[in-house]
Amino acid sequence: MLLLYFIISVLLAAGVLLSRTQKLMKWTGGAFYLLQAAMAAWVIFEGIGTTSLSFFTFDGTGALFNTLLAIVSPVAFLYGLWYLDREEPARKRLYHALIILLCAALTGVYFANNIAVTWILLEATTLCTAGIIYHRRTRRSLEATWKYIFVCSVGIAVAYLGVLLLGGLSHGADLSYSGLTVSAKFANPLFLQMAFVFIVAGYSCKMEIFPLYTIGVDANMAAPAPASALISTVLVNGGFVSIVKIYRVVLSTEIAGWSGNVLVVAGILSVLTGALFMRRTNHFKRFLSYSTVENMGIALLGLGLGGVAVFAAVLHLAGHTVIKSALFLQASRAGKSYGHYQIGRWGSYMDVSRPGSVVFIVASLLLLAFPPSPLFISEIIVFGRMAVEGRWLLLTVTVILLCSVLYNFMRTVVRLCYNPARAIPPREKSNYILLVPVLLLILAAVVLGTLQPGWIVEWLGKGMEILNG
Amino acid sequence: MLLALIILYTITLVYLPITERFRNYTIIVALQGWILLGIALLRLHSVSLWEMGFVVAETLIFKAVIVPVVLLRIIGRTGINRIAASGKSQFNALGLSIAALVASIAVTYYIADATIGVVFFGVSLYGLLSGLILITVRKRIFPHMVGFLVLENGVFLFSMAVGVEMPVLINIAILLDILISVLMLGVFLTKIGGEMKNMDSDNLTTIKD
Repeated sequence: MLLLYFIISVLLAAGVLLSRTQKLMKWTGGAFYLLQAAMAAWVIFEGIGTTSLSFFTFDGTGALFNTLLAIVSPVAFLYGLWYLDREEPARKRLYHALIILLCAALTGVYFANNIAVTWILLEATTLCTAGIIYHRRTRRSLEATWKYIFVCSVGIAVAYLGVLLLGGLSHGADLSYSGLTVSAKFANPLFLQMAFVFIVAGYSCKMEIFPLYTIGVDANMAAPAPASALISTVLVNGGFVSIVKIYRVVLSTEIAGWSGNVLVVAGILSVLTGALFMRRTNHFKRFLSYSTVENMGIALLGLGLGGVAVFAAVLHLAGHTVIKSALFLQASRAGKSYGHYQIGRWGSYMDVSRPGSVVFIVASLLLLAFPPSPLFISEIIVFGRMAVEGRWLLLTVTVILLCSVLYNFMRTVVRLCYNPARAIPPREKSNYILLVPVLLLILAAVVLGTLQPGWIVEWLGKGMEILNG
Repeated sequence: MLLALIILYTITLVYLPITERFRNYTIIVALQGWILLGIALLRLHSVSLWEMGFVVAETLIFKAVIVPVVLLRIIGRTGINRIAASGKSQFNALGLSIAALVASIAVTYYIADATIGVVFFGVSLYGLLSGLILITVRKRIFPHMVGFLVLENGVFLFSMAVGVEMPVLINIAILLDILISVLMLGVFLTKIGGEMKNMDSDNLTTIKD
């Protein structure tokens, strides 16, 4: 099944790239997102528990994140068509082809059961993302592309050293996560610690966490906004899944507690970085990216704390994916109306687009974990876990930092919607094809935070099964 | 013989922070390619002929010839052949490099695990740190790129320690080498060099908060 998916994805990407007309490109691109949805549905109803191509296992975690990809990517595709409408056809075709390949690579990352395969597919996401960032062909996009390739390459090389360490420990057995879990039990703890740190530090460029978070922020700034909606959500989910799989390998060893603390330290430093830089930046896409750094920090805190906080981390990521993508997509509309993303020069958005302002305000409140946001539940659980473990200093610091995030986020959104702008752009035309999907993303977040149907909870439970084996 | 090559490899790493000319960086990268070829021939004699051919082609053709030629072409095209500052920065870089060497030796001896070739691991770790130091302390983009190549060589060296049992790991390391080096050197050669004539990392500051 997965082989068929990869083959069709590559063919459709080639089809998009070679499309002679805009219409053909739209249909070919649309066909891929149908394929993505069909793949997600097949995994949920038929595939879970099975293995494909020896290197991919359809588990609950992969199914959850793949479904999120299948939900968010077609909306980003719609926005991409609109956002790049007046651009050169060749560039548009390349952009959409690269997005398709990125989605296909991410699907592979979610389901990979082998550390080397995960690593190769993450490398593939670097290549696709670099092409997307370079879309504008400006000096700024060149700079962002260079930095992205350079820092990702350093990160991925450092991660590979960790992979080699784990590979050496397995005595040539195999590089599957299950095989590594067995061999890690008898390994030198210092070797394991070094491998874990190398891999987490290397993959941090993908998950947009401390220490290599910067390139994700730069990438989001330079890439077209609909692509940023994917880079800042489904791509960081790929980084999370990769880290969580390594974490599972070391959980059955004597460094389990130590590795949890490493994740907690990386998590709190990410929250700190996000909170500090959100205050400084004047670019709205960078602002949203720092919010991603902060949210990934919270997810990492949940993962590191363990127990029920792992469930919270998965819930947090699920909620973050739908809310943040809605914000980025709405930002693409605002950015196009104003002609830039400078926060200081934005304002009066209520006069430009009333529905758009509502989207900004509601999505921001949900992202800031106001009920009925799923992030409210996840953060409460993480705080509760900190209290239960007696980590009062960590709890205090986290709460203070999140208060700072709350203040800065609301200040920016209120300024955007209500502050008088120096030059108010013309009113945005009503476009329900763009508005409705974003509203549906927000609705999905509300459903996740309030109703929580049994099958969603079961899914989230499957999402955390990765740590329980 | 193997130990002699590894010591020679370490000497190239120690020399790295002292030099200030881009041509010397290129020579170091080429020399490391030849040393890695020698290590591969000595270390991997038990792997299949096909695997061996792949490794030899990568080290000899790619690391020892193509990459240095591309680096020389970049130097020729940009007309810049030395790092911006000298003297103090070399001293600092050397100090950091020696500290990295001591740290690598300390970690290696502390581990002293027979599971993995500790000498390979120690030198690889030093290579990794040397690459990162070069990227951190140098201002121009060219040494940054050399730093990445040195870092990659370190990873490749370590892949040979575990590659006797798992040749697939060496192949993946080669994949990393070729894919990223081609991409990075390609972007550098065709875009960055043309856009930023003095190749200072200061030019890469338009994206900021």
